[in-house]
Parts: sequence; structure tokens; C-alpha cells
Amino acid sequence: MANPLLADTPGAQHLLLGNEAIVRGAVEAGVQVVTCYPGTPSSEVPDTFYRISPEGKYYFEYSVNEKVALEVAGGATLAGAMTLCTMKHVGVNVAADPLMTLCYTGAPGGIVLLSADDPGCHSSQNEQDNRYYARIAGMPVLEPATAQEAKDMARDGLLLSKKHGAPLLLRTTTRVNHLRGPVEFGPAPDPGKAEGFKRNPSKFVPIPAFSRPMHVALLERLDALREEAENSPYNTVTGSGDFGIVCSGISRAYVADALEATGLTDKVSVLELGFTNPMPENKCTEFLKSVSKVLVVEELEPIVENELRVLAQKHSLDLEIFGKDVLPPNGEFNVTMVENVIRELLGEEAVPAATCDQPELPMRPPNLCAGCPHRGTYFAAKKVFGDDAVYSSDIGCYTLGILPPLQAADFLICMGSSISAGGGVAKASGQTVVAFIGDSTFFHSGLSGVANAVFNSHDVLLVVLDNRTTAMTGHQPNPGVDRTVLGENDHPLDIESAVRGLGVTEVRTVNPFNQKKTLAAFEELKELNGVRVLIAKEPCPLFTRRVHKKVATQVAYFTEAARGNFEVLDTLACPAMYRDGDMPAINPILCNGCMLCLQLDKNIKAKKRGS
Amino acid sequence: MSDIKPIRIFMTGVGGQGTLTATTLLAKTVLAAGLPVTSGEIHGMAQRGGVVESTVLIGCKSPKIGHGEADILLGFEPMETLRALPYLKKGGLVLSSTEFMPPLAVAMGKQECPTIEDVKKAVAAHTDHSYFMASQTLGLEAGALQSGNIALLGALCGAGKLPFGPEALEATIKANLPEKIQAINLKALELGVKALDA
Repeated sequence: MANPLLADTPGAQHLLLGNEAIVRGAVEAGVQVVTCYPGTPSSEVPDTFYRISPEGKYYFEYSVNEKVALEVAGGATLAGAMTLCTMKHVGVNVAADPLMTLCYTGAPGGIVLLSADDPGCHSSQNEQDNRYYARIAGMPVLEPATAQEAKDMARDGLLLSKKHGAPLLLRTTTRVNHLRGPVEFGPAPDPGKAEGFKRNPSKFVPIPAFSRPMHVALLERLDALREEAENSPYNTVTGSGDFGIVCSGISRAYVADALEATGLTDKVSVLELGFTNPMPENKCTEFLKSVSKVLVVEELEPIVENELRVLAQKHSLDLEIFGKDVLPPNGEFNVTMVENVIRELLGEEAVPAATCDQPELPMRPPNLCAGCPHRGTYFAAKKVFGDDAVYSSDIGCYTLGILPPLQAADFLICMGSSISAGGGVAKASGQTVVAFIGDSTFFHSGLSGVANAVFNSHDVLLVVLDNRTTAMTGHQPNPGVDRTVLGENDHPLDIESAVRGLGVTEVRTVNPFNQKKTLAAFEELKELNGVRVLIAKEPCPLFTRRVHKKVATQVAYFTEAARGNFEVLDTLACPAMYRDGDMPAINPILCNGCMLCLQLDKNIKAKKRGS
Repeated sequence: MSDIKPIRIFMTGVGGQGTLTATTLLAKTVLAAGLPVTSGEIHGMAQRGGVVESTVLIGCKSPKIGHGEADILLGFEPMETLRALPYLKKGGLVLSSTEFMPPLAVAMGKQECPTIEDVKKAVAAHTDHSYFMASQTLGLEAGALQSGNIALLGALCGAGKLPFGPEALEATIKANLPEKIQAINLKALELGVKALDA
């Protein structure tokens, strides 16, 4: 039986994650090519496409980074294929270069770029608002608020993009990606074959002489899309009254629930914008004319608000506009926050803030797992370099090395920056630099940093934490992996050959669970200058369990002689270890059998799991 | 949606506990009862032993619950119940596990967890409507530690605050879980409902 997400079952209803709903929407549009770089909160879109790909009628790939993903997707749509490209918000920074040009060349097959933004920084380094990108590039934008809309907008976005040849931004936020709601399915037609690339250099080669008319064509497309926005079913006016609310994205849900709570649903006029760029100027102007006071509810930047202020000025409208003066420009909203602003503007009393006396509680930060090979690498690095080196970190599970007692992350800029920014520190100050990068991040954007470091004679020790998978985002394949949930990797790239090919001569590969050899490699490389690479190679234990179906047969335990000695427990911070009165102990269920601790204390022994 | 009185359920636990599976089962049960449901989860670093918070909302459009908005707080770990207490409306319903899963700093002896009495006291100051049960032990009694979540869900369905009873959850378990683990989970459900009277 076909996976329900692929089945042609119009009318069927399923409870779907927002990200699964996007997959279904793309299938209903007839998507032919899907590319991505994974990243929370976008990852379940590509992961679902990947999982069901043996049954699907589309081409899917995990690309090595977002720029490459969008370039592959760009080629696909130029070849007439209906294409979806997915990434998290900061990924769009990486893909910004091809994005700007694709909006000039246009997208004959249609292309939707999913940008999963993260207000509140649930799993990101910033909370940038990617609706700005759409304005820089000249893209239509759809912003869903429910699972049903996530499905419908993915479908309609692809169809609209193809109709106008315009790359379209499907902009979600964490709450939308990770909500679950009922979704009613439409038909899922057979996508057929891509139409093929049709040569037309004046449209597709942006040399200056062609770029100028391409820009004119882009502006004309935006005019046509503005008309679409005026008539879009995603832009609706409801309610009535002198007080207006304009809202977009997930804020529409907060407004709906807040009005429900105040009982004011019918006493307030609401303009909901789901199709937010180009703004439907006529619809918005008519709405502004119909009210004397308007509240704009949008998370992060005042984008809709500012456009409304421009319209009010253009049409000499005399009304009060509230937005970022009463709601925060950072973080997420919630129903009570929105409800209280509405109440305040209507001259009503606010809902009293919830108070709750609470003692200070121990935090529960995420940790490197028991049996994580990064612990072995960090432990050895700190032993050799202590606090004398600057530790340049990168993005992945291993960023958790920031926590005490390992504290092996001093600064971090972005994906792939460990080596290049580390080189910058060394060049600027002459300080000793140890840079850490994971295997997936190495292939994402570490390669060019290594080439640059060799070319410019940087003095940096790069440690590649090669755990044979993309662990942080859920074990997606990367070019270096041996196998995936769907089978063997036919072309595994070898990191050691790659760095040697880039001109690094001092390269060592160790298993970080072998402390003696790892320490020796660090000591040796410490004495050398220039670009040196240590590859700490050992699979993520969670990945080993899930994909290789293997669990270590032995676990570690403290013998009686260890009583009162907590040194290993304190220095490794392994989540399997705990204090049991005056005895250090290891939880055999949590122990992954890495045996790192055995090498640090003769009072720790191994025994058969379950004995 | 206006004819349905909104019910907001806030769920909290520790990564790896199966909180999200329980959340989805409850959301499916609401949907099967013909009610409008939205559910929310925060993923990300959860599998590294962090806190996992999720929501199930009946008759609402938003998937999020702010402070003071939850009608029901379901805590799969007692310290997380305490941490999430600000989300609960005064007088709301609390169902919580009594069995602590100490975070690393506590396991290493650097910090201390509150006692279960501390948790009960704080909850009592917020509401007089609460149930505490050793849900993991109930899970073990049913046949698997993980099914302790279902025991707590069963208790929720039996507590009379939802527009359906434990039999609705029973039907969802039968329709959605693999056959080989159904019996354990149905047993856990039964034990959870019984624990309400304990």
C-alpha cells in the first residue's frame, strides 16, 4: 500500500505535522524535484520525502549545503521541473546568492523555497525574519498558520510559482512546522516528466545587458502577483467594527483565540494575510479606510506594519496604527499577550498576569550523550591544550562541548566558520587555535575554509569530529556516511583524502575512544605549525543503534575501590554516571559501552551487558 | 469553533521518555472524537536529555500555550511538572508522575532536585485538583517502562475533564499502535485509570 502522503485519496483526513502537511501539499501539486539541507525546524520535510522516496515519483536529494541545494533546485526548475527546496532560516543566508539571481531568471517549472524561521531561537543562533529576503529578491510569500494551510499553501505556492515563473517563498515558523492538526487531502496527480530545458540566453544568462530587462520582467511579475494577492483566498476580511486587526502567519491563530477569549470576535474587523508579499494594496487600503484604529499582529520585524504605514501616508488616511510599539519585535507571541494588547487598545482591563512562586530548579540542558565520541576528543584536547588554546567551535551536537566540565567551545559564528574564523584569530593575535568541526558541517562549508587556510598559511589545528552522520538534526546522510536508513552509500567521500587533496600534509586519524593514541596525536600536532588536521573518527552511538542495529555488548561499572572518588564522574560528565551516596555509579541502561572511562580509572571495569 | 469550550493541555517530560508519542496519541483521540484539535511540539535538542514540552488544544486555532493558559498540566516527570506550573490556570488540573529523572548536574551531586513533597506543595498552592502517581512503576507493572506515559494519559481520560473517557483512548491505541505492544499499553491505561482512586 502506498504511503498515505503519496496516495491519491481526495477527501481523506489525516492528523499531520505541519512539515508532513507541506510534503503532502507538494505531492498534490505534482512536485518533481526536492532538494534540501536539513535543519530544525525544517528537517521533517526532507526527512519525510526521503523516507517515502522509494514509493515517490520525484527526485530527492540531501544536498551538501543550502547554496548547492538551491542551485540544484534552480537547475531543475530551469529544466521545467516543479521543484521544492527546503532549509532553515539561516540556511537562506547561505543560499542567498543563487536566490537573488533565480528571481531574475525566473522558474519555468515553478519553485518554492521553504524557509523555516525560528522566532524564540528554539534551535538556532538567531531569530532573523526571512520575509525580508522575499522583499530583496522580489518573491511572492505565503505564510501558513495551520496544518491544513501548510498543505494547501505548499500546493498552491508551487502552482502559482509555475503559473508566473516566479520563485516563491513558503515562510513558516517553528510553531507551524511542529504543530499537528487535521488535514483534508486533495487529489495527488501523477507528476509526469519535466518539460526539459529550453534554450533562451536572454532570459537565463544574467550578463548586464540581459540583467536589465530581466529586472524589468521581475517587476512586471510582481505586479501580476500583487493582483493574485488582491484576490487570494488566503487574504480575508472578517468581523466588523471600528477597531481593526491585521495579522499574518501564526499570529493569525493567536488573534483568533484571543478574540474567542474576549468574546469580541464579531466586534472587531480582522484582515488576515496569508499571502503577504506583494501586499494586496487595494485590499489593505480599503481595510484601513474602514477602521479608525488598527493593530498589526506579526512576530519579529514590523514588515506588514511598515507597509501599512506607507499606504496610510500615500492615501492620507487619518487613523492610528499600532504594532511594534505595543508588541515585542523579538521572540514568540502567545494568546494572552495578544489578548491583553487588544483589551488595552479597546480600553478594557487586561487579564491579570499568571503568578506562580517557584523555587530555583536545576536546569536540564541537553548534553553530549553517554557514549558520545566527542567526549573522548574534547577530553584529550583539553588535557593537551588546557586553557592555553582558543577553541573555535562550529554547528552540530559538538557545540554542546561548551558545557562544563569540558568547556571546549569559546566562539562560534556559523556553519563552517570554525576553521576560517579560527585562522583569523591565529593571524590576528598569534594565539594557539584548536578548531572543531563535524563531518556534515565539514562537507557543508568546511572545505573552502581548509583551502583558504592552506593558501594563506594559517596556523590552526582542525579537529574533524567525524561521527559518520549528521547527528544533531536526526541522522540525515552526508557525503561521508557509510550507509543510511535506505541502504549503502555508493560514493562515500573520505575526509582524510579530501584534506590531503586540499594540500594539508599533517593529517592524523584516530578513534577518540582510544585515549592513549588520541592524546599522542594531539601532542604530536601541537608541536607542529601550519594547518594540521586530526580526524576523530567513530560513529554516533544513536546512529549505530538505529541504522547499524548494533549495541555494545559490554557496559562499564565502578568497583568497590572507587568509593569516595568522583574524579572521573566530575571530569567526564557522562550522563550514564551518577552519585549513589559516597559511591560513584554507572547506570547500565544508559551506558553505551564506549569504555572511555575505563582508560581513566583502574577502578572502573567492564562487564557483560545485563550481567 | 465557538460552540466548543476550549481545553488546553500542556505536557512536559524529559527527552527520550516518549512524551511526543503520548502527545500524538492524545491528539488522535481528540480528532477521532470529532473535535477540532491542534497539537504542538518543540523538537530540536530534545533527544539530548533536555526538557520536552508539547501541547494538545481542543477548540483552539493556536498550537501554543502561554503562562496561565493551560486547563490541564500533564507532567511525565515531577520536577518538570513543577517547572511547567506557571503554564497552568489557577485551579486547573494536574496529573503528574512522582518518579524523578535527575538531570546531569543532580546526578553528579552538584545540585539537588526538589522533593516530591516540595512539588506537591507548590501544586497545592496553585490548585486543589491534582493526581500524583508512580507512572513509570505502573508502566513496568503493565510490562514496559515506556507505557508509563499511557498510564498517565489513561488517568487524564478518566479524570472527567475531557469530553471523552478512557474508552476513546483505548480505541486510539488499538487503531494506531503495533499489535505486539497493544496489550501492554491497554494494561497501562487501565492501571492509570485505577490510580485515580488510589
